[in-house]
Amino acid sequence: MLKVGFHRVSLLRYTGFKSSLYTEGALFYGEKPVDGQARETIVFQAEPSAEPLQEPACKPGGT
Amino acid sequence: MSPDLTEPEILRVRQDIKEKYDRVAAAGSGGCFQYPTGPEGMQLQGYPPEVLRDFPPEVLAAFCGVGNPFSLGSLAPGEAVLDIGCGAGVDSLVAGYLVGPGGRVAGLDVTPAMIERARAYQARLGVGHITFQVGEAEALPFPDKDFDAVISNGVFNLALNKEKALQEAHRVLKPGGRLMLADMVLVAALPPDLGDKVENWFQ
Repeated sequence: MLKVGFHRVSLLRYTGFKSSLYTEGALFYGEKPVDGQARETIVFQAEPSAEPLQEPACKPGGT
Repeated sequence: MSPDLTEPEILRVRQDIKEKYDRVAAAGSGGCFQYPTGPEGMQLQGYPPEVLRDFPPEVLAAFCGVGNPFSLGSLAPGEAVLDIGCGAGVDSLVAGYLVGPGGRVAGLDVTPAMIERARAYQARLGVGHITFQVGEAEALPFPDKDFDAVISNGVFNLALNKEKALQEAHRVLKPGGRLMLADMVLVAALPPDLGDKVENWFQ
C-alpha cells in the first residue's frame, strides 16, 4: 500500500475468520494523501494471535 | 503479470476463480466457505445492527466476507464509494445504506453471475444510487479521483497482480480518499509439500 502511494497505513486487526490453517482475515486501512500533504507511513500494525494452527470447520456446502 | 506464475498457471487461476464463484452464485447463499457466512458472519464482524434488522434475509444470506471494512471508518452521507470484488453486492448495499440516496456506490466483480445476483438484491431493496458492473481490480473502469472511499472484502488475495490492483484503487480515489480493506492474509508459512501454486492460491 505504501509503495503505490497510500499513507497512514494500518493493519488494524485480524478478524478471526480463517479459510485454512495458514490464513486469516485482516483489516487494512490507508489514505490517499492530499496534494502537498506530508506523507505519514505505517501508523499501526497488529500481530496475529499466537493460537496453535487448527483446521477451520467447513460450513455446510463448503468447498 | 504475476512474477511467480506461468501464463498457463495464470489462466488456470482465472478459471478456478470463475468456477468457484459461479458455484457460490448458483448456491444462492454464502455456504462455500470455511468461516461463518450470512447474517451470522455479519453479526460476528460487527456490521451495523440496523442493516441486520432491515435487510431481507436472502440478501444477508449472501454475505461471505472475511471481515467488516466498515469497521475501519465511517462513510458520510453523500459520499461516493467503490466496492472492488463486490460479489453478490452485500457490502455495496451496506455502503449504499450508509451514504444514503444522495451518495453513489459502484460494485465491480469479475463474475457475471454474481453481478446478476447483486442487481437482483438491489431491486429487492429498491435502491437506485448503486450500480453493478463486470470488471477487474487490475483495470478499474472508472476515471481518476472518482471516489471518496474504496472498500473490498476478501478479494485482493485472489488478484493475480496485487500491486496493480492497489495502484488502481489509489488512482480512482480522490485526494484524502480512504481504502478500507478486509482481506485474507498468510499468518503461517505454507509447507513446501502442500501442493502446487495454483491450488495454494485459495489457501
